[in-house]
Amino acid sequence: MTSSRLRLLLSVLLLVMFTFVLTLHPISAQDEGVNLRWSIEGINDLASLDPAKASDSQGFTVIGLLYGGLVRLDGDLNVIPDLAESWTVSDDGLTYTFTLREGTLFSDGSPITAADVIWSLTHALDPNTGGWTGPFYLSNIVGANDVAEGTTTELAGAVAVDDRTVELSISQPSAYFLSQLTFGSAKVVSKAQAEADPTGWESSPVTSGPFQVQEWNHGQNIILVPNTNYWQAPTIATLTMPFIQDSETAYQLYITGELDIMGSQQNGIPAVHVPESETLPDFRSTPLFAVRYVGFNNMIPPFDNVNVRRAFALAIDKATLANDVLGGTVVPTDRILPLGIPGSELPITGLSFDPDAAKAALAEAGLTPETLGPVTLTYGVEGENERVVTVLQAMWQENLGVSVTLEPLELTTFSARLNETYETPETGIQAYYSVWGADYPDPQNFISQQLRTGVGNNNGHYSNAEFDALVDEADVLTGDVAQRMSLYNQAEQIAVDEVGWLPLFNPRLNILVRPEVEGIVFNGQGLIIPDYSALTVAPAM
Amino acid sequence: MIRVILRRLISLPFVVLSITIITFMVGYLAPGDPILSMMGSRRDPDTYERLRHLYGLDQPWYDQYVDYASGLLQGDLGLSYRYQGRPVLDLIGSGVLVSVQLGLAALTLSLSIGIPVGLWSALRQNSFVDRAGMTAMLTLYAVPSFVLIPIFRWINYQFYTRGLPSLPQAGWGRPEHWIMPVIVLAAASMGYIARLTRVSMLEVLKEDYLRTAQAKGLRNRRIRWIHAFRNALIPIVTVISPSIAFLVTGTFVVETLFSIPGIGYLSVQSISQRDYPVIQSTTVILAVAVLFMNLVTDLLYMLLDPRIRVEG
Repeated sequence: MTSSRLRLLLSVLLLVMFTFVLTLHPISAQDEGVNLRWSIEGINDLASLDPAKASDSQGFTVIGLLYGGLVRLDGDLNVIPDLAESWTVSDDGLTYTFTLREGTLFSDGSPITAADVIWSLTHALDPNTGGWTGPFYLSNIVGANDVAEGTTTELAGAVAVDDRTVELSISQPSAYFLSQLTFGSAKVVSKAQAEADPTGWESSPVTSGPFQVQEWNHGQNIILVPNTNYWQAPTIATLTMPFIQDSETAYQLYITGELDIMGSQQNGIPAVHVPESETLPDFRSTPLFAVRYVGFNNMIPPFDNVNVRRAFALAIDKATLANDVLGGTVVPTDRILPLGIPGSELPITGLSFDPDAAKAALAEAGLTPETLGPVTLTYGVEGENERVVTVLQAMWQENLGVSVTLEPLELTTFSARLNETYETPETGIQAYYSVWGADYPDPQNFISQQLRTGVGNNNGHYSNAEFDALVDEADVLTGDVAQRMSLYNQAEQIAVDEVGWLPLFNPRLNILVRPEVEGIVFNGQGLIIPDYSALTVAPAM
Repeated sequence: MIRVILRRLISLPFVVLSITIITFMVGYLAPGDPILSMMGSRRDPDTYERLRHLYGLDQPWYDQYVDYASGLLQGDLGLSYRYQGRPVLDLIGSGVLVSVQLGLAALTLSLSIGIPVGLWSALRQNSFVDRAGMTAMLTLYAVPSFVLIPIFRWINYQFYTRGLPSLPQAGWGRPEHWIMPVIVLAAASMGYIARLTRVSMLEVLKEDYLRTAQAKGLRNRRIRWIHAFRNALIPIVTVISPSIAFLVTGTFVVETLFSIPGIGYLSVQSISQRDYPVIQSTTVILAVAVLFMNLVTDLLYMLLDPRIRVEG
């Protein structure tokens, strides 16, 4: 009796499930035009559509599709005109005059004027906006700090000469100022809309870039459609960007035909699926403009001694770490600049793996593993970090005879400890495993901004007067690119010899893109669309 | 019964108050803050301090708490740090709904399979059916969802590559998106409920009053369903009711792996990002839900067992 009821119940349940299955919609039914499906991994929603507030790479990917800037990057990472059709630089390198494209319009049809550009830059610096990228990347503009400190709301260094001409004055000549203007915080938003609706505009913004928002389904996806007023309007019908927290999930959706691009957000194809993906025409792989490294606290023993740092660097077999431990998902490196970034074409003599030299360096420091004292390596718990530091620990033990204690910290706690180490090095951590990724492709972003004496990111307080002199000269050198790169190269060589950082590897990003997708370039900076009007999905053969 | 409800309702504000204080202090004492989490590895001490000031994070902890608590009293859960300027209520509102729907669907499925299987096994104790059923249920209970999901996906992928009808591997919005997550979510509790039902039913079946009922000549069906099953339900209710409360905070693994816009991921993420208003709100909502479900449990006991009604 009960069994017959149960059977009935089970049959009903099965029937219900099959009905669901049969209602399956045909996948990728496209009624009008091309719909490109490009997943945004690692988040479950965007933090904001205000370029001044975005703070992660996912956010900046979408910001870059929605808003134009004065300039942007092309497929070879050169700075090219965007909303500005041209610019001139004064002889002293301190004044940039941009001319906006004639008749360039926002997505709502209103003209993009110099006033919008200036308002956007000021908005990004305004402390009440609550963003951090503006103060970080636009600080070279005259008066930027006054705006950021809230003492004024007028950005002194930005002048609208007329509706189509913007003049930006900077405090110091800078070879990378234009590069910084390609970053999200310098994108142009509509002053009129933002002033009319100060709190609501960012959920359905008027845009200045190639796309505009059709729908933003919180927690699910954002659907973009072309902004036909953009000077290089896309021809695809829609761009659907689902937010997918987990890259395995994105991979599964890709292989079952529900995505056209996956993995572009620095959470590429899960390592276990790389072997089966490598043979596909969809597979694309590049080393990222990022370096995983060990940083040392140069203010306290034992790493205040350059020979101890050298000993620790020489004892690491990066090839084994990269190829055997991380299965070729990374590229081992002996230098600070990531492979492919401007400046990395000049060679550096790295500290290659040499256990004997490592022991000798330690002896030169007048120390033995016994007299070295306790050494702790601190790291944030994330991804493969645990595996990497365990291998580092084993290599230092085996090749140097030093036993290093590992200190895992939750990520934000790790950031807090790095902050404390910067503020009070005496009580800070000794050594840390960390990462830096390029915000814009310029050697300054890695050399000066990380290791110059006293700069905010120099958590370990590495300091070398000659290094500082070289990068100070290079940072302001405009015009002579070769000379500038050579200065950075000399500085980098010093920092490598003295182990300002112990660079380990450049992570590889492996992504999947349908072969039918045309018009995108994939490099260390991620996916770049050099010409939005050429972005298309060709019909499958 | 009204006294029980009243007593619970009166204690509610105090419980919620203590929970907010505890969550607030834990958040406050944890190293780092939302600004640090947002800026990541880029150090810019001036901007950092300004942002801390803008968000009131440089205020003494009691001021911050009073600010928060007074907002809460007015039904204002505050603004998220991470999703800049978005009200927490708006942020978690739709997510709670999705999580609850998903959770209820899973619970319904696990009850509608778990209880019958448990009963069936109990009534046919030690038979092949019992052994097979219980082995299957124990397996479901033991296999964690993050193992079950890849297995399901692999099978589903085989269907897909052979051009057979298949399910979406993840996503939300269409009816077929429900199937895999609901089954995965239901699997574990289904196993647990089946085993609990079986044990509980076996206990009750041994009771003297059932033998008495049998001796009085009552029909087997009446004995099993009215006398035995009703008593066997009490432990099941004890287990199910509180678990319903946890549905509002979602299920981290399943929601994350199936890319479901529930609240599970948000709840967990808010902790690592130190998004205090979100942490506070999910905790408070969970607390209220647990208190409410405890009340429901007590009321259900009274319905099922007249003895408790008298004592209450």
